[in-house]
Amino acid sequence: MNIVLIFLISIFSISLFFYGKSKTKTISIKDNIKLNALPKFYGYYLVLWCSIPALVFLLVWSLFEPTIIKSIIIETAANQGAVFNDKNEANLVYEKIKAIHLGTYFGDIDSILKESALAYAKFINLFTNSKVVLIFGIIIASVVYSLKKIRNNNKARDDVEVILKGLLFVSSLIAILTTLGIIFSLLFESIKFFSVINIFDYLFGTNWSPQRAFVRDASSITAAEYEELKDAFGFIPLIAGTSFIAFIAMLVAVPVGLFSGIYMAEYASTKVRRVSKPIIEILAGIPTVVYGFFAALTVGPFFRQVGENLGLTVSSESALAAGLIMGIMIIPYVSSLSDDVINSVPQSLRDGSYAVGATKSETIKQVVIPAALPGIIGSVLLAVSRAIGETMIVVMAAGLAANLTINPLESTTTITTQIVMILVGDQEFDSPKTQSAFALGLTLFIATLVLNYIAQRAVKKYREKYD
Amino acid sequence: MSNIKIKSKNLDVFYGDKQALFDVNLDLNEKEVTALIGPSGCGKSTFIRCINRMNDVIDICKVTGNIEMDGMDINDKNLDVVALREKVGMVFQKPNPFPKSIYDNISYGPKIHGKGETKSELDEIVENSLRKSALWEEVKDRLDEPGTSLSGGQQQRLCIARAISVNPEVILMDEPCSALDPIATAKIEELIDELKKTYTIVIVTHSMAQAVRVSQKTGFFHLGKLIEVGKTEKIFKNPDNKMTQDYITGRFG
Repeated sequence: MNIVLIFLISIFSISLFFYGKSKTKTISIKDNIKLNALPKFYGYYLVLWCSIPALVFLLVWSLFEPTIIKSIIIETAANQGAVFNDKNEANLVYEKIKAIHLGTYFGDIDSILKESALAYAKFINLFTNSKVVLIFGIIIASVVYSLKKIRNNNKARDDVEVILKGLLFVSSLIAILTTLGIIFSLLFESIKFFSVINIFDYLFGTNWSPQRAFVRDASSITAAEYEELKDAFGFIPLIAGTSFIAFIAMLVAVPVGLFSGIYMAEYASTKVRRVSKPIIEILAGIPTVVYGFFAALTVGPFFRQVGENLGLTVSSESALAAGLIMGIMIIPYVSSLSDDVINSVPQSLRDGSYAVGATKSETIKQVVIPAALPGIIGSVLLAVSRAIGETMIVVMAAGLAANLTINPLESTTTITTQIVMILVGDQEFDSPKTQSAFALGLTLFIATLVLNYIAQRAVKKYREKYD
Repeated sequence: MSNIKIKSKNLDVFYGDKQALFDVNLDLNEKEVTALIGPSGCGKSTFIRCINRMNDVIDICKVTGNIEMDGMDINDKNLDVVALREKVGMVFQKPNPFPKSIYDNISYGPKIHGKGETKSELDEIVENSLRKSALWEEVKDRLDEPGTSLSGGQQQRLCIARAISVNPEVILMDEPCSALDPIATAKIEELIDELKKTYTIVIVTHSMAQAVRVSQKTGFFHLGKLIEVGKTEKIFKNPDNKMTQDYITGRFG
């Protein structure tokens, strides 16, 4: 129904555009008035007036209609003698009534349910009809109003500008509000978690095994139970694993990325650059899950084989395999960012260095790189935050056990992997196990936020110096 | 008549398909200031960049003809460019100090050429270079500060100090005062007067007044050709060529 309405509104708006345009032309010719805006602006003006109030009304109506109908139906059912002990029972009865209406209910139907279903059908009908009537009323009212404005030689251009500005503002508001919403939901769930588990036990605990808390109800944990729980949510192994894998990744990505960036910026001819730069950037376009199974199925077993031949015990899911593949994934970020940064070092600095007799590599090492350093550091920090937030590769290749280890051949785990593990499968939302995912998410969010902030500051400072 | 330091014969320069210099024959005298004047894009800068082979940096640039310094062929493919640039320093249009300390800006060149092996030798080179460029008194207490923290005029003198730190024989200046105010310009001109006792100097300039003030010899370029060259006095008072006359009196350019 709503789709049909939206479709009708659109059709109506589009035809109004042309009507408004031609009408405006006729008015200005017939009455010989010089209008304040081009005819098309009056067209836009009509379109906006016709569509926005109706669409907003439709949105608000659709948001509130189910709730209102529900409360009316539950009340009617209660009036007919239905007894609800709590909200859940009422909800259940309402769902039954809805199912009867749709013909998908196959249980026993007593007279109360039957009556209520009839009432439900009646209300649905009533609401839909009044919705349609009201919407057309609104459209007609706003069109009449806006058409009158055209006659009044209204400044349609300015009004269109204002309305468009408003639309753009609303769009950015949506983006901001969503972000805020996510942050607050993380925050509130984390607060719930930290009201059960002491924040210090979380931050400094060295053991992570949230399965132990699977069936506990967070609201009724006794002191004795807490003793048992308190060392199940130690954050240290996760941050250690995360940093460790990110470190291995950076060990791969920074030298390779930086050197290829230097080559691209300083040595490669335009021809080579034109071909090889996109190829490197393709690396960034490969879905991480592909890297993931590459790490899990090819690189991991390969390392284990090599390890066996050398007489080492290598877990088939190792920090080394995950870190290595993650490093390869990050190379393009480092290389293309440092390429850009090196390119923006002014040529005059290089000239100054050549002019005193420095060679190309001396110039790069002693003048270009130091000049580009803040930007390079920024690009590396962005890469680090990318590595910390990466999930798929570690889920597939690094293992799930939260070992506190610095042996790259053993399996280890990261914050993101654990969030996945916690939230896969059936969940109880008031269990500390589930809530711990939000706490992890919040911690991760803060960590990457800080890194990004520092990185952007560094890059910005660099830009200011040379712009 | 002083000795000829640099001699160019039938010098042509091409940027890709476009020819930038046509058959330039120009002699530069030792320990003298030669000014090169002419409208923008006439090849003055291209010419001085041939002297220290800075055109090598530009991929599409091709230089033919002959250019010699003390009888040595500068265009020789086997010539050691590093050694050439040690002898021929350059100061650019825009001050371009390295993002390093004032001290490191000066010691950069000597270190590259293996001069000043001990710290005290290096200190001496830095002090001498800064004294010669008349900057020592202003910066001696803040040699650790970044070179970019100096004012524009000071930065340009720092770049001159950087050029003389490797003890060259020739200094090329590509419009060294175009980004500076009149006071800083006056200081640089004073400095050039002082430096010509030790070095052969070539200066590209857009200011006729500057050419008159600092140079002994002037060359006028137009559209890649050297139109006229001679004693500065003669060029500005009584040029042979009508075009030179028109340019210096401001009728075109």
